[in-house]
Parts: sequence; C-alpha cells; structure tokens
Amino acid sequence: MIHFRKSLEGVDRPQMEADVVIVGGGPAGMACALRLAQLIDAHNAAHPDAPMSKENIYVLEKAREAGQHCLSGALLDPRSMNELLPGFEKEAPLDGQVHKESVYLLTRAGQHKFPITPPPMRDHGNYVISINKFVKWMAQKVEEVGITIFTGFAGTDVLLDGERVLGVRTDDKGVDKNGQPKSNFEAGYDLHSKVTIFSEGARGSCTQQIAQKFQLENPEHAQVYGVGIKELWEIPAGRIAPGEVLYTLGYPLTTKEFGGAWIYGISSTEISVGFVMGLDYADPRTDPHHAFQSFKEHAFLRGILADGKMIRYGAKSLPYGGWNCLPQLYGHGWMLAGDSAGFLNSQRLKGIHLAIKSGMLAAETAFDALRSGDASTTQLAAYKTRVDASWMREELYPVRNFHQAFEHGLLPGMVKAGIQQVLGGANLGPDFKCSPGYKNMQHLGTCSVSDDARAQFLGPAKGDGKLTFDKLTDVYHAGTRHEDDQPTHLVIADLDICNRRCTQEFGNPCQHFCPASVYEMVEEEMVETSEGSGSTQQKELHIHFANCVHCKTCDIMDPYQIIHWTPPEGGGGPNYDGM
Amino acid sequence: MKILVCLKQVPQKDAPLKLNESGTWIRDDISYEVNEPDAYALEEALRQKEKHGGEVVVITAGPTRAQQVLREALAKGADRAIHLEDDGFVGMDAVNTARALAAALEGESFDMIFTGLQSDDYGFAQTGVLLAELLHWPHATIIIGIEKTESGVRLKRELEAGHYQMLDMPLPCVLTIQSGINKLRYATLIGIKQAKNKPVKRLTLADVQGKLGKNLQVVERLYVPVKQKKTEMLEGTSVELAKKLVEKLRNEVRVF
Ligand SMILES: Cc1cc2nc3c(=O)[nH]c(=O)nc-3n(C[C@H](O)[C@H](O)[C@H](O)COP(=O)(O)OP(=O)(O)OC[C@H]3O[C@@H](n4cnc5c(N)ncnc54)[C@H](O)[C@@H]3O)c2cc1C
Ligand SMILES: Cc1cc2nc3c(=O)[nH]c(=O)nc-3n(C[C@H](O)[C@H](O)[C@H](O)COP(=O)(O)OP(=O)(O)OC[C@H]3O[C@@H](n4cnc5c(N)ncnc54)[C@H](O)[C@@H]3O)c2cc1C
Ligand code: SF4
Repeated sequence: MIHFRKSLEGVDRPQMEADVVIVGGGPAGMACALRLAQLIDAHNAAHPDAPMSKENIYVLEKAREAGQHCLSGALLDPRSMNELLPGFEKEAPLDGQVHKESVYLLTRAGQHKFPITPPPMRDHGNYVISINKFVKWMAQKVEEVGITIFTGFAGTDVLLDGERVLGVRTDDKGVDKNGQPKSNFEAGYDLHSKVTIFSEGARGSCTQQIAQKFQLENPEHAQVYGVGIKELWEIPAGRIAPGEVLYTLGYPLTTKEFGGAWIYGISSTEISVGFVMGLDYADPRTDPHHAFQSFKEHAFLRGILADGKMIRYGAKSLPYGGWNCLPQLYGHGWMLAGDSAGFLNSQRLKGIHLAIKSGMLAAETAFDALRSGDASTTQLAAYKTRVDASWMREELYPVRNFHQAFEHGLLPGMVKAGIQQVLGGANLGPDFKCSPGYKNMQHLGTCSVSDDARAQFLGPAKGDGKLTFDKLTDVYHAGTRHEDDQPTHLVIADLDICNRRCTQEFGNPCQHFCPASVYEMVEEEMVETSEGSGSTQQKELHIHFANCVHCKTCDIMDPYQIIHWTPPEGGGGPNYDGM
Repeated sequence: MKILVCLKQVPQKDAPLKLNESGTWIRDDISYEVNEPDAYALEEALRQKEKHGGEVVVITAGPTRAQQVLREALAKGADRAIHLEDDGFVGMDAVNTARALAAALEGESFDMIFTGLQSDDYGFAQTGVLLAELLHWPHATIIIGIEKTESGVRLKRELEAGHYQMLDMPLPCVLTIQSGINKLRYATLIGIKQAKNKPVKRLTLADVQGKLGKNLQVVERLYVPVKQKKTEMLEGTSVELAKKLVEKLRNEVRVF
C-alpha cells in the first residue's frame, strides 16, 4: 500500500506570527525580500521615531540551500536587476555577455540557419548565468539585510479563513513511510502572516491550492506549460564562445509539437544545452527526455558535443500562456509573483527578469499594506495596478497570443506569429483562447502503432552513455536526494484509475513524461477472486519518489488530473549546483 | 557537562566535484554541509546536556562559508560557537588543525570534546585523537554509546565484525563519534530564529598561527579515476563456458 503525504492530524503545532511570508526563494521571492528590506530601511531612515521591523519577514525555501531547486537556461535580461540593485554586475556571478546569436531550423538530415535572428531572439546585452549561483548570491544579499530565509522548509498547506489567506503551514519532518511520526518527529509550523506571497515557480503547490479554491484562472485562458530538460556539458575549447547563443526549431519534433532547443556558451569549455517541449502534445507515448536525447544525435549537435562530457542534468516546467493566462494575482492577504503567476515571455524564453520585477512590485504592495495595517483585497489590488503600469505589461501584452498561435503546429504558428509581429500582438481576429494542455492528449488506440515520424521521441531513450543517456543515468546527474522513509509526495487521488483505466486508455503516460523515472508500471501477479481459477498478470504503478526532481510535469500533464505534486520533507530534491 | 563539538564543513555528498586549476583540490563553487559523523556528535552532545545539564559549544576551523555549520548547530540547540575563520584552514593537515583547535580553546574548560570519527573529505581519522594528545587528555574512538558514571563515562566502541568494546574513561576526555549512534533532530523555525542572537566568537589564523607548524601533509595533485569497465563475452557450449569461466575467475579475477 502506498501511503501518501499529508499534514498529520491531531498533533500539537507550534505557531509563529509573521508580517510577510514569502513562499519560495527563487528570483521572484528573493527580489521580493530584498525590495521589502530596502523600503523598510528607507522608511526607518526617514521616520526614526516610528521604525518598522524586518524581524518577522520570512522566506520559505524547500531546497536545502537557496538556488538548489532553481533550473533555468539561463540568459538574464538585466532590466529589473538594474532597478533592484544598480551596479549589480560588479558583484553578481555572471558568466559573460551575449554577443552573438543564431537560429537554426533542424530537419532530420540537415539544418538551415535563419538569415537574420528574429528580433525577439536577439539577446545582445543579456548575461549568461547559472541561476543556481545567481539565486545563491541573491540569498546572501537577503541575509545581509536581515531577513531570515528558512531553507529546507516547504509551505505545504495554505491556512485559510474563508476568503482570507492567514499564512501557510510548513512541512512535517520525521514522518515514516506509513505516515507515522518517527522518534525525531517535528510538526510543521503554522506560520500566520499579515501578507503571504506565493513565488513557488511554475505550478506552485500552495498556489494550486488557492487557484482551485478561489478559481483564480479564467477557464477561457487556462495556463499552459512546457517542460525544459537541460544538461551541462564540458566540451573541447573553440566550438562555442562564452556568451554565444544558439536556438533551434524543428527536429526531433514534427510540425505538430511545440518546442525548441538552446545552447548557451558559459565559458570556452562549458555549455548549457537544453530542450523545451510544450506540454500540450497529443501522443501519450511522447517522452520529452527522449526528444532531447534525439536532438543531441543530430549531426549539428554531434559536431558540438563530440568528445565532450555531460556533467549535470535537470528538468523543470515553465508557464507558456502569457499575459492573457495570468490568473487573479491578489486577494485578501496574498499575492502571486514570478512563474507562480505566469509572468514569462514565452517568445523570448525569458522569465527571470519578470519574476524579479513582479517580486519587487509585490514587495512595494506588501510594504504599503504593512504600513497601513490593511492587507485586504482592495488594498492589495494595488499590485495589479502596479503590474499594469510597469514595463512588464509593455513586454508581455504584445506577445499575448504567441504561444497560442502554435496550438495547431509550427507552420501555421510561424505565419500567425508573423502576423502578430505586424499587428503589435493582435491576431486577424479576437485573441486566441487557451485550454489546458493535457486535454490534447489522445487515447492510445487512436495513435498509430509505429509512428515513424515520431519514433525519435516516443517511449524511452536508450542512450549510448556518451552523447545520449537513458533517464536513470541522467537523473543520477541531477543529484537528487530524499529521505527514503517518508510518505510518497506524489499524491494520487485514485490509484485504480492508474492501474486499470489509464493503462487501457492512455498507456500510463506518466512513465514517459516524467523526466526522472519516478513512475513505473510493474507486472504484478493478480490472483483472481471470481470463479476463474489461476492468476493473471496486471501492471501496477510503482512510485520511485526519491528520484523526483520537482519539475511538476506530472501535476500538469496527467490526463485525469489525479496526480498532485506536494512538497516532500523539506530539504529533499535535486541539487542543481552550477545549473 | 560542558561539551565541545568539533564540526567540519565538507562538500555535500552529491555535489558535482571538479578539480581546481592547479589540480590540488576541488573547485569550491559547490554546496557544503556538516560532516556526517559530526552531526551525530552534535546530537549526542545535545542529548547529554538535556540529561545532565551544562553547555554545548561548537567550533569549526574553516572559511567564512563554514559558519553555516555553526548556525545550524546553534539552531538545533548549541549554546555558543567559535569560528576559526580563514581560507587557510582548508587543506590544513590533521596535526595543524588539531593545534589550531587546541589553541582556540585556551581559557575554556570542558568535560568532554566530541569529534566525528573521520571527515568525509580527507578522511584522516586523526584530528580528534591528535587533539587529545595535544591536550594530554585520554581519548577513545568509534564511539557508539556514552553513559555518565560516578567517575566519568562508560563507553561503547565499535570493533570489527559486530564486536563491541565497553570501557570506562575519566573526564575530561576526547571521543570520536561514529555515525548512527543516535537519531538526528531537525532544526526548527524558532531554533533558527533564536540562533541569530547566540554568541559566535571569531578567531583568525593570525590568532593561532604561533601554535602551528609547517604543514607536513600536502596534496600535490589529485587525479580523477578513469572508468575502466570492460565487458568480455565468452562463447561456447555450456560445458565449455563453465570451464572458461572458472579459469577466468581463478587466473584473472583471482577469487579463489
Ligand atoms: C528549462 C528552462 C529554461 C529557462 N531559460 C530561461 C532563460 O534563459 N532566461 C530567463 O530569463 N528565463 C528562463 N526560464 C524561465 C525562468 O527560469 C523562470 O521564469 C524563473 O526562474 C522564475 O522564477 P521564480 O522565482 O518565479 O520561480 P523559480 O525559479 O521556480 O523558484 C521557485 C522557488 O520556490 C521554491 N518552492 C516552490 N514551492 C515551494 C514551497 N511550497 N515551499 C517552499 N519553497 C518552494 C522552489 O524550490 C524554488 O527555489 C527558463 C525556464 C526553464 C524551465
Ligand atoms: C571497524 C572499522 C572498519 C573499517 N573498515 C575499513 C575498510 O574496510 N576499508 C577502509 O578503507 N577503511 C576502513 N576503516 C577505516 C580505516 O581503518 C581508517 O580510516 C584508517 O585506519 C585511518 O587511518 P589513519 O592513519 O588516518 O588513522 P588511524 O587508524 O587512527 O591510524 C593511526 C595508526 O597509527 C598508530 N599510531 C598511533 N600513534 C602512534 C605512535 N605514536 N607510534 C606508532 N604508531 C602510532 C595507531 O596505532 C594506528 O595504527 C575501518 C575502520 C574501522 C574502525
Ligand atoms: S514525479 Fe512529477 S515532479 Fe517529480 S520528476 Fe517526475 S514528473 Fe517531475
């Protein structure tokens, strides 16, 4: 019997009072904390008679250390950092400035270089960064200004009083795999806060709780996602310059799937290679990890990676929907920031600068709320006003239809995107609608048995151990670690659906879309209970939760929406050092 | 009971290790954590204090980043900390580390000093024992049980093959603690907050330099082992195969 994680009942829970709790210490959360500290310091300098305290502002981060669960390309558009910490370039860990970009369309046998780099893909002046190192550095700044980051603590449950968010509960520690407290059990805290800011990244688990409870999404514009798979490589010098950027479209995907790849030069011998795939594909056997491996087998990539060495692996989801898919951003006692809100420019594959900016604007709104002692919905509505008045809207509104244009494939998408370019983001009609990506998934029976056009990403990748890898080899390079003796944090509402209905209808796509081999269908001998004697073979779902890299793909793409990703015991998860 | 616990900050177990430019050690842009047996040593000290009262002090010799292990210990319940803070403590040999620790303890008085059995990075398994020598205190290694007695402590040591040794030892003494002796506690939110106001005494390399000697043990060069996985396929009938296999096992693998 699989025991799923949930907060223990009937235990004494410690409580703590807070002014602001920031759930998730990525770029959005750290920027929010820093901006709050700046505002409070400025206030205290101006009003020494009525000082405000930073004592009770907390950041919760589920990783053992700040940045360890952060994964990105990554190119940093410095715009918001220049506002947050002018002159940050002098001390932040930056790997080099982008000086050269090219875009290629890959076909099975060749590649075509775009004669010019389309304007949205021009990244001159951006920096190549390791988001892990960058967030670690931001965390140092946050600690220096006197705000406490609780690393190794996850927000697990949103505490509600009707419409009002009272704060969050942190994870129970020391619970065994049967859900029983161990001798070192520590109950999670009830953290009561005047303002709670959710900056948990894409598909945040607390964010999902309120999104469902308060129906924050507009059903006509549901959020859509992609999953990004990344490897760090060491390669012989002279192939990719530091600060060089390459994008590819096309192979191994067909024109029906949305996705593409990047290569960023970190140093003369180190590159970031990754592949993003829309989580709105049709064939349930699609395996994004396999697509990435096939991409690396393309002659163009072989030339870059030959004799190199893969040193790190990771995967993470990202919100693609854009401006029209933004949910309600605030309510009584709460705000959403960064990827949790969906602030990502999918045309540019960039969200870090927007996450930072949204964190700053949420901080400004929280600061006003603290000063006025009012965190009501009306007061926090100022957040949305700030977003609308900022350059975030200027950047995101014109590309609001970008991803949606590709819903029917690459070629019509390019045409539609071209029209949008001319019309300032509009279509030749109303804005496109958006429905959740899992709804596109087709029953196995309707897919052709051997789909040659898609063989390169259906089912698992084999891997040659040098250029390409099977999932388990890759996962080993994610450095993921979880306490083994704990309940399963992938909470499945109805295992019967997995073991019977899904096997029939979709062939258990969780085995394929999970980039960390968490889900496995294992043959089990079933003794028949009815009159028929003997036994039959049936497959049963096994969940290797300790492999999980917290990408949230399963929560997003499961066709029955019965998988809920919840935070495991704090501190568990991947180790994206240097990613 | 006044107990000092020596904590070393080491690379996290799953950290991606890369050699530094000169090939003498690893690049330090990775994450660190407390050395595993040291975490058990701290837990044991906290339990002794809870039973018998007293004070738990933690000490580390390491760069600025090493304060992480002190803060964690303070969050779990240690009372105060001493940080010998300098990059120069990285790669120092066991004798000099022990000398630095001993020098930092001048003016302090403890009933027991706990160290881990050995460190996850260098694995000397010497520092605790050398510290005892320098202090002229008795020591015992690989401790898996500690009971306070009238005259001192009754100890349980782990030996080979499931054997144990019980022994009595007077105080003060140095004990090197084995992993798994207890179950580690978690830091709590309130503990982490309170840790911010606990005293941390800072000493520099200069403060103890006079007590140190030349580093006699120096890493000149590290090598990454080259993977050598060779699969050889044997062919033939099952009888031939069995014969070939036995030959291989006897002459090449030499298992018998
Ligand atoms: C593969 C890939 C490539 C990308 N490339 C680029 C790029 O080149 N340039 C760019 O600008 N953007 C890029 N992006 C987007 C960018 O990474 C994100 O927009 C950005 O990281 C969002 O920041 P965030 O702070 O909102 O969320 P995140 O970076 O996801 O941080 C969220 C943090 O919250 C923590 N957390 C989550 N839930 C909880 C909880 N319940 N309790 C406690 N802690 C929690 C997580 O551990 C994490 O540390 C890319 C994204 C992906 C996936
Ligand atoms: C039960 C057990 C099983 C182990 N199994 C393994 C294993 O299978 N594989 C493995 O790699 N490691 C194993 N180890 C660890 C390994 O034994 C130690 O890491 C290693 O012995 C450490 O060597 P060292 O010289 O650093 O320290 P020590 O082992 O402390 O060596 C000190 C040695 O120096 C001698 N010595 C001390 N003072 C003097 C002196 N003044 N004059 C002369 N001699 C002196 C001591 O008697 C001792 O022999 C095991 C350890 C234990 C306790
Ligand atoms: S179990 Fe879900 S969240 Fe974890 S790695 Fe697999 S798909 Fe991602």
